[in-house]
Parts: sequence; structure tokens; C-alpha cells
Amino acid sequence: MSLERPDSVDDAAIERTPDELEALLGDLVVDRDDHLNAPGFVIRPDTVQETLRTLKEQAGYDHLSVVSAQEYENRYESIYHLKKYDDPTQEVSIVVPADKDDPVSESAEPVFRTADWHEREAYDLIGIEYDGHPDLRRILLPETWQGHPLSMDYDKDRPQIATLPEHANPLEDHHKDAESDTMFLNIGPHHPATHGVLHLKTVLDGEQVADVEPDIGYLHRSEEQMAQSGTYRHQIMPYPDRWDYISAGLLNEWAYARAAEDLADIEVPEYAQVIRTMGAEMCRIAAHMLALATFALDINGDFTATFMYAINDRERVQNLLEDLTGQRLMFNYFRLGGVVWDLPEPREEFFSNTRDFLDQLPGSIEEYHNLITSNEVFQMRTIDTGVLPPEVAKNYGATGPVARASGVDYDLRRDDPYGYYDELDWDVVTEEGCDNFSRLLVRMREVEESAKIIEQCVDLLEDWPEDERTIQANVPRTLRPDDDTEIYRAVEGAKGELGIYIRADGTDKPARFKIRSPCFSNLQTLPEMANGEYIPDVIAALGSLDIVLGEVDR
Amino acid sequence: MGTAPAQLFPEFIVDTLGLDSVIGEVAASLVAAFVVGNIILAFTGVAGPWAKRKITAAFTDRIAVDRIGPYGLLIIPAAAVQLLAKELIIPEGVDRPSWDIAPILLPASALLGFSVIPMGQLGPINLHLADPEVGFALVFAFASIASVSLVMAGYASNNKYSLLGGLRAVAQNLAYEIPLIVTAMSVVIFAGTLQMSGIVGAQTETLVTIAGVSIPSWYALVNPFAFVLFLTANMAEIGRNPFDIPEAPTEIVGGYQTEYSSAYFVLFYLGEFVHIFLGGAILAVTFLGGASGPGPESIGFVWFVVKIWGFFLFTQWARAALPRVRIDQLIEIGWKGMLVLSFANLVLTAVIVGVIA
Repeated sequence: MSLERPDSVDDAAIERTPDELEALLGDLVVDRDDHLNAPGFVIRPDTVQETLRTLKEQAGYDHLSVVSAQEYENRYESIYHLKKYDDPTQEVSIVVPADKDDPVSESAEPVFRTADWHEREAYDLIGIEYDGHPDLRRILLPETWQGHPLSMDYDKDRPQIATLPEHANPLEDHHKDAESDTMFLNIGPHHPATHGVLHLKTVLDGEQVADVEPDIGYLHRSEEQMAQSGTYRHQIMPYPDRWDYISAGLLNEWAYARAAEDLADIEVPEYAQVIRTMGAEMCRIAAHMLALATFALDINGDFTATFMYAINDRERVQNLLEDLTGQRLMFNYFRLGGVVWDLPEPREEFFSNTRDFLDQLPGSIEEYHNLITSNEVFQMRTIDTGVLPPEVAKNYGATGPVARASGVDYDLRRDDPYGYYDELDWDVVTEEGCDNFSRLLVRMREVEESAKIIEQCVDLLEDWPEDERTIQANVPRTLRPDDDTEIYRAVEGAKGELGIYIRADGTDKPARFKIRSPCFSNLQTLPEMANGEYIPDVIAALGSLDIVLGEVDR
Repeated sequence: MGTAPAQLFPEFIVDTLGLDSVIGEVAASLVAAFVVGNIILAFTGVAGPWAKRKITAAFTDRIAVDRIGPYGLLIIPAAAVQLLAKELIIPEGVDRPSWDIAPILLPASALLGFSVIPMGQLGPINLHLADPEVGFALVFAFASIASVSLVMAGYASNNKYSLLGGLRAVAQNLAYEIPLIVTAMSVVIFAGTLQMSGIVGAQTETLVTIAGVSIPSWYALVNPFAFVLFLTANMAEIGRNPFDIPEAPTEIVGGYQTEYSSAYFVLFYLGEFVHIFLGGAILAVTFLGGASGPGPESIGFVWFVVKIWGFFLFTQWARAALPRVRIDQLIEIGWKGMLVLSFANLVLTAVIVGVIA
């Protein structure tokens, strides 16, 4: 064994102190602006690419989680939240102020592909222009929208009326090119397999896809702005349920709870953490069951029995969640500092119902393997289609089952532990296939891991001494985090890294509330998977991404 | 066969009513055709709004139509009224009249196929309209008109999804009709005739007798390999899973039928169901001994109905259980696999029959 560490791979893995990073960046850093979760370096708006490239190539920060942007009284600001896929606890924020009158900042797209959509969103909602961006258009709002809704001078009372001819018409003549052999096809916004209102602008060469461009924003509901006008303590928690509304509610609530609790320095009682962990994994099972069901729908056709079987299993876990939270979809069960109430009485009944569910689950999984994954036709359809190589997945900031099916071993439950996960015995599931089949398989195996977690939680809760069942920490009625504190915190949602960036301004409402949606980043990879494939494989790839448009568009 | 073949249905009417003129014969033929046609349409009426839902529900652990009438049977008239009462939306730019002809052509072609199918006896009546010497070739000819209607619908709809569906339908039918017919020819070699009654008659002979029970020489038992080939090609021919790609609702939104509503939509669905039943009828005649079965010959029609409904059940089963192949894979299976196998089967059959006989 050599004592030296010559290669850069090892060099990338080592953890550097903020000062070492500052030394690495040298003159690029003009100021420090540390966040609660990471050191923050302020740089000039024309050195974005250089800074990010240095950090990516020399310090191993290969994961651009999110780009959050905001407007201050005297400047605009974009923040690039960087992490490492190998160790997401190593974080760094790159703060890029831009001029108030002429907010132009260099685009990070050449360094991180994922910045493409994130910067488009920042341009759309805040109004920062990114120099060198390949395609700086609005992404969530219509092309004809006037103003940038999250900027300070935005007049929300001004009516937005754009006549039909002013809108881009997807049936326009320029799509009918007499010379070329390709055909332009709109898949969606209303299509049986787009899993919500998604519009794919597709160029077909025969049945093969020459180009596909996802067009999102049909389900944009200003979730960030709604959160910004709610108080930390009570008014924000109901919203996360509505992001990924495919019964992943508790996972979403945890994202907000984690960020806000770390921001306000709230300690959650252990008992509540166990309940949270159990509930969150139930949600994960429900979400993955639906992913499996709809994927079978995409591959098998709309009369497939697998769909109903999987929905049936989801129904069982949904019943448990209903017992626990009183709701079936919009749970609103977490509170800052704990959960809203204890397990339902009689507890024994809840535990035995949960155990019944866990007992029948292996049989169900077995049946799905019989029905779909071991079917030759199914394998023929899904193996080696929609291929997403690991490096591409990382470049696009893909997380969750999508990344894990490409062999990227990244799971925040293990790598950046929260809740009770690090006390329990479970494994992170990865597959090396990088294809549609692997993505399904990862979800199916994750259901088994979630079941293991729930079982351990039930064991713990059963034996929990009655006088130590604290479900809620002591939290002030009104939370006013200190002025100018910023935090980015993420949890492992059903679809991947679900993160929240909050900037506090001393009031009881967040000054900026930014949601890092895993579906948003994952959906960006679709063209990589789909180009050159047949239409059915595009549908399969889309299904295997398991996006929820409520979370993509927010 | 000991007894002489029963009289064809039109001749039976002529004889019974004593209509001894050309006009009488024409009238009798029309009446017979009307009766047979309505039997088939009644089947589809039961199959579409009721049986299909019940079967799919049973496969997927659900309860299906059970609110209206006994076992939910009154859903049939309810669905008919509901579908026909809908507005017929004619999209801009459709190519008429081919857009209007296509939905009529599809059920018509499938119904025409039944003109030569021997459906067995029901009491004194032999439900068999015509028995030309080339009946076997005719039925395939009729059945393949369907692809013309699908292309017409796909092309005339002025919709890209429809066009894709229409093109898929042609590609699929081309790739599977040839193996289908080549496999059917191996049966013709066994039977030595293209006449429907002859093919059915040849299957009534005893193959083996086990413990006093004589097993008839149905071609499915004589040549199971050809039966499986034929069954597979038949699934592609009628466009059901794993070969439902001309419709593929989750990919191309129903393909050629995307733009059709109301009565035209009903006609398409009707056509598809008649087509499934015709597929079942061809299968029954070619491989399952037609209308033969235990019991007297006068209940042969009952056995025939059991067989074609059995095939219908099979298609629904496949629908619930099997994934859909991709278009390029489908073509590959058709041209590279099925065609080769069906020719191998044909040559082998010819050699065996030539050596033995």
C-alpha cells in the first residue's frame, strides 16, 4: 500500500475545510456568506463557470443540487448549492450577486447540464439573465407572460392577457417542413401516458424519436410564493403534501420540517422521529406501488391486471396511513418539532394491521415479479431501453431511484442521516443496468427495504415506555429565525433529493422559500434517454422516471 | 361421416317454406344471412359492454357492472343508448368519404367472413350460409379487408396519432397474415380440400381411442405446433395483446380510432369484436373440429359458441396479463420468426402427409 494519494479521484473525496476551499478558489472569492448548512463563497457574476469547474474537477463537488435565486433591495442573487454524490454532507454554496439594474450572470450550464432548467426557472420567476445559457426561455410560465412574479417590482394585479395568436402555436407551419423526412408530434399535455399534464415536443423520424423536449409548467401553482406568505410554525406545513401528491405527503412534509427545524434549532423527540420514519416509509411504499402500477400500464396496456394489483397494495398501506394521520392523501401530520398526534388507539390494533400488511407484502412482490419482471416480453421491452449512464445522470443532478438504477450510490437517508434511519438496519438499493428495467427493479427492491424499516419501527414503538412518548418538542408559538440566516436541507423523497432552501429575514415568514424538486431534475434527463428510441420506449422511459407534475411545476 | 352433410341454412328455408323460385331463393338467402348476422351482432353486444367488463374485472380483482338488471346485464341497452346518443364530432380536415367508409368497412368485412363459417346445427337448422369449394381461402380474404379499413381510418382522420396507428396496422397485418395463411395451408394439406365442410368433416375421424373414449382428430391435437403458431398469428391479426400496437392507447392514444366518436366509434368497436369472434371461428373450424363435440350433432352450434367464446376469453386473458411488444420487435418476430416457422411447418406437414398417405 502506498501512503501517497496521487490520483485525483482520491483527491476529490477528501473533505476540505472552508478555508482550504477558499484557498483553492483563490482570487475567485470576493467575500464569504456562510449558510447554516454550508460555507458560502461570494463570487463575481462572470466567474461562475470557472468557480464551479474548479470545485467540480479539483474538489469533487459533482452534484449541483439546485440553483436558488432571489432579489434583494440592492441586488439580485443566484446561489449554486453544490454537494458530492459520494458524501452529500460536504456542501458548499456559491453565491453570485448580480447587478440590480442589469441582472446578468454567467450561466453554469456548460459545467453542470442540470443548470439549464434551474437557470431558466430563475430567469422566469426572478428575472436574472444568464449569459451563455443555450436556451434562456421561460420554463414554468407562458412565453407571453409579462414580468417576473418573484421579483420585487412585480405588479400582481396587472392582468395577464395574451391573445391566442401571440402564444406559440405548436401546430404552426414551421413544424411542417416539406424538405425534411421528420414529423413533429405533440405528446400531451393531454395524453394517457404523460402522468399528469406534461407536453413533450417530439420530432419523429418514422417511429423513432429524433428529438424530444419536455414542456412543463401546466401545473404551476406558485407553491414557493404560497410558502413565502405563510408563517413557519403552522401555515406552511399543509403545502408540501401538494407537491408530490402521489401519497408521498409525509416525505415532502419532512423536507420542510427538516429545513425549518434546523433553521430554528428545534430538537425533535426520539419517539416522534421513529413515528416519522415509519410514516415516511409507508408513504414511500405507496408512492413506489403507484409507480409500478403506472409503469405496467405504460408497458402492458390499459387493461393490465398488474395495475389493479399494485393499486390494491397501495390501498392497504393507504389505510394504515389513514389510521395514523386521519387523512389519505393530504396528511398534514408533521409539525415543527414532532408530529401532530400519537399513534391511533388501540395501539395494538394499529400494530397488528401494520404487521399484517408487512406479512402479505413479500407475496405481492413475488406476484409482481411473476407478472412483469420475469415476463420475457416485458424484459424485451425494458432492458437496454432508455439508457441513462451514471455520468450523465450525475451531470443532470438525477437523484433517487433514477440515479440508483444507474449505479449512483446516493441515498440521503444513509448519506446525510436524519430521523431514525441511522439506527436501523436496512440497505441502499442500487442496480447497474441504467435502463427502464433497472429503474423498476430499484423501486420494487426499495419497497422491501422500506418494509424492513417499518417493521423495525413497529418493534421499537411497541416497546416504547408509556411515559416517554413525547410526540412534540417545545416550540415557540411564533418562530422568528434570525435575520439573514440561510439554509438548504434535503431529505430522500420518493423520487429523490427533495430539498428546501429558506432565507429568513427576521419575520415569522420566509423571505425566500425555494423547493428543490427531484422530479424537476430527473425529468431533464428524458431527452438523453429517449433520443433515437422508438415512441413506446419514450413512454416507457417517462414512466420509469416516475415524475409527478405537481412536483415538477410546483 | 355416416350421415350426409346437413342442408345449408338458405336451402333449408327454401325447402321448408317451399319457395321454389329465384326470388324465393334470394329472399331465403337474405333471411338466413340476416339471422346469422344478428347472432354474431348479439354476441358482440353481450361481449362489448358486459362480458368484457366482467372478464377484465375478474382478472383484476374488481367488481364490474352489477348495478343495472340481473348480473348487470341491462348495461347492454344502457351502453347502446349512451354511445349512440353522443354527438358525432367530425374533426376539421378529415378526408371524406373515406373517413365515413372506414368504420362501416371494418364490421362489414368481419361479418362477411361468417358467410362461409359452418357454425353447426341447432336442432334441424344447420347454421351455415354458403359452402363454396374455396371457402377457406375466402374467409381469409374477407378478414384481411379489415386492414384496408384501418389504413383508411388512420389516413383520413388528419391526425398524426391515427396515421401512426394506421401504418402500424398495415405493417402488423402484412407481417402476420402470411404466417397465418401458410400455417392454415398445412391444415389444407391434411384435409385435402379448401371447402369448409370438408375441413370440419376431416376432423371428426377418430384419432385414438383411450379407455373407450374416442379422441377426434382435431388438428390442434394432430399438429399442436401449427395450432400454437396459428393462435399467435391470430392474436396479431385481431390486434390484441401482446400485439395491440395499432391501438396502443398509452402510446398513440388509440391509433386509427382516436378521432372517431358516437356511432362511428361504436362501429369500430363492433368491428373489432366481430373480428375477434371471426378469429375464434376460423380457429375453431381449422383446429378445433368446428362445431363437433360430445352429444348429438343437433347441438353442434352450442359447442361452436363455447369454442369462439373460449377464444374471446383467451384474448381478454392475454390483455390482462401480457405486455405489449414494440413495433420493431413485432415486425421482427413476424418476418424472422413466425414466417420461417410456418414454412417449416408447411414443408414438414407436406412431407409427412406425402409419405404416410
